[in-house]
Amino acid sequence: MLAQMATSPAGPVIRTSGLSKRFGRRTALADLDLEVGRGRVFGFLGPNGAGKTTAIAMMLGLLAPSAGHVELLGLDTRVHLHRALRRVGAIVENPAFYPHLTARDNLRIWGALSGGTTASRIDEMLELVGLRQRAKDKPRNYSLGMKQRLGLAAALIHDPELLILDEPTNGLDPAGMHEFRELFRRMAREGKTVFVSSHLLGEVQQMCDEVAIVKQGRLIARGEVEDLLRRREALLVRTTDPVRTREVLAGLDWVRSVSPAEDDAITVEAPAARAADISRALAEAGIWISELRAEESTLEEFFLEVTGEEGVGG
Amino acid sequence: MDSNFGAELLKTRKRWLPYGLFAIAALGALIITVPAGYLEWRNSREFDPVSGSTAFRTFVFPYSLAALMDSGQYWGSMLAGILAGSVVATEYRWGTVRQALIRGQPRAQYLALKIGAIGITGSLMLLAALAVGVALSFYTTGLAGEPVTLDVPGGPTWPEVALMVLRSAWCIVPYVMLAVMLAVVSRSSMVAVTGIIVFIFGEAVLVAVFDTFGGLGGVLRDASIADNVKTLVAANRIGFGDHNSMAPRAQLNPFDAADPNWAALILGLHTLAYAAVSFVVFQRRDVTG
Repeated sequence: MLAQMATSPAGPVIRTSGLSKRFGRRTALADLDLEVGRGRVFGFLGPNGAGKTTAIAMMLGLLAPSAGHVELLGLDTRVHLHRALRRVGAIVENPAFYPHLTARDNLRIWGALSGGTTASRIDEMLELVGLRQRAKDKPRNYSLGMKQRLGLAAALIHDPELLILDEPTNGLDPAGMHEFRELFRRMAREGKTVFVSSHLLGEVQQMCDEVAIVKQGRLIARGEVEDLLRRREALLVRTTDPVRTREVLAGLDWVRSVSPAEDDAITVEAPAARAADISRALAEAGIWISELRAEESTLEEFFLEVTGEEGVGG
Repeated sequence: MDSNFGAELLKTRKRWLPYGLFAIAALGALIITVPAGYLEWRNSREFDPVSGSTAFRTFVFPYSLAALMDSGQYWGSMLAGILAGSVVATEYRWGTVRQALIRGQPRAQYLALKIGAIGITGSLMLLAALAVGVALSFYTTGLAGEPVTLDVPGGPTWPEVALMVLRSAWCIVPYVMLAVMLAVVSRSSMVAVTGIIVFIFGEAVLVAVFDTFGGLGGVLRDASIADNVKTLVAANRIGFGDHNSMAPRAQLNPFDAADPNWAALILGLHTLAYAAVSFVVFQRRDVTG
């Protein structure tokens, strides 16, 4: 029995099977099957109302699933929820604090509720998130970014194996985002797992190894960030004659599409390795290239493509 | 601090509310003992002996204990109910209930510890106010030229004084648990606090209405919190004669009151019922917002 409950280092740290939630007639999440491996930074993306926070709340036992179940750290949360959560640090929706208590007292409380903590551990966490000098202030006087920092300190106070964070970089300045990113990467290198929902796709692209995208309660894409970005390979070409350039390139059978870009440039969907072939083809047609480079694909483009969204929500 | 209960106490004792409510309770003790007791006695003893006697029993120790606990039970129920409703419901508003539960604290434990912390904080608040009243009673008893002693006709022993305190506390508990239930069900401080205030004021009216119907009305009256509280408060009286009171209810003579043990049992059942609803709702409900 104990062997069954023990966490296998190789097994997924988060596993959801057929996880669904309905509020009355509205389905907030449908059949979410997800596995997150140990030592990964995993991004959970989706437009507003896609079901991200609902999924996280079910993982953490705040919402009861309408169907399906969750395993955290190898433990089935239907049976071992409290045991599993002792090893998890989390922020859901937004970091919450007791506004009448100082930052230090808040951490004392969260530490006590997580099985006990020490003054030195509290100092260490305050130092980690850059709030040591403001430890005696009450969080109600903090900026949103400082609240996020304190929220992260609270989530880390008991040195969890798994971090589940809902929009953790909201309100952070660029330096704060960089610090969080570095911290999450470092935790992953130490074998811990970070599951993060965010609408800051640039951040996610830099921070995460793997992402999953949900829309209207359904998982619509998932994969390694590198693989997702590689799916859409394109080159940007700028020449002396954009009109003829488009005609010439459209005639090449290995070019998937040709489309106008900014300032008379042209985007050519083709493998980056074909750059020399493009150069040759245009030269043979008497067209001279002023710029030819691989166009970097972004997670945002991929997100917009698969979700069909015009903008990105949280 | 390494215990969940220590954390719960820290949260509660660092709020301003218990201190504000203590100030109100202490002010009530002052009003009962000095203006409604000692000053009233000085003003009325010569031309209105009945009022003078009632005022005398309001501030002179040990009769003052019954007077303080009578008013203290009524207004203490309201103050402790406000504390309970506010402490439970504001955790929803702050989102901290979520944060507590995602740390692996079982829901039943979370609610039980919160009720425990409310119990300790509320008890300290009301006992401190009672101590203020007793200190004022000692002082005014001396001013009236009376000895400070329990040795009066029908006077209690110290263990009986402790029993008086326990009876009063037992009369407060159902209201506290009702406030907790309102907070858990509504997740709103305003609903919980307003609800308990309206209930305490409105209950007396309801009991009076039940009284007029007889039959089922009588059964409902007998099962009400207010009616059984009245019985237990009557058991606290020392000797015969009324005292001035800030509780808007008739003072029963102990011989006219129902069995206090039965009343205590009914109050216990009220407490259990409200606790059961609170725990069941909290255990099953989705925690959002």
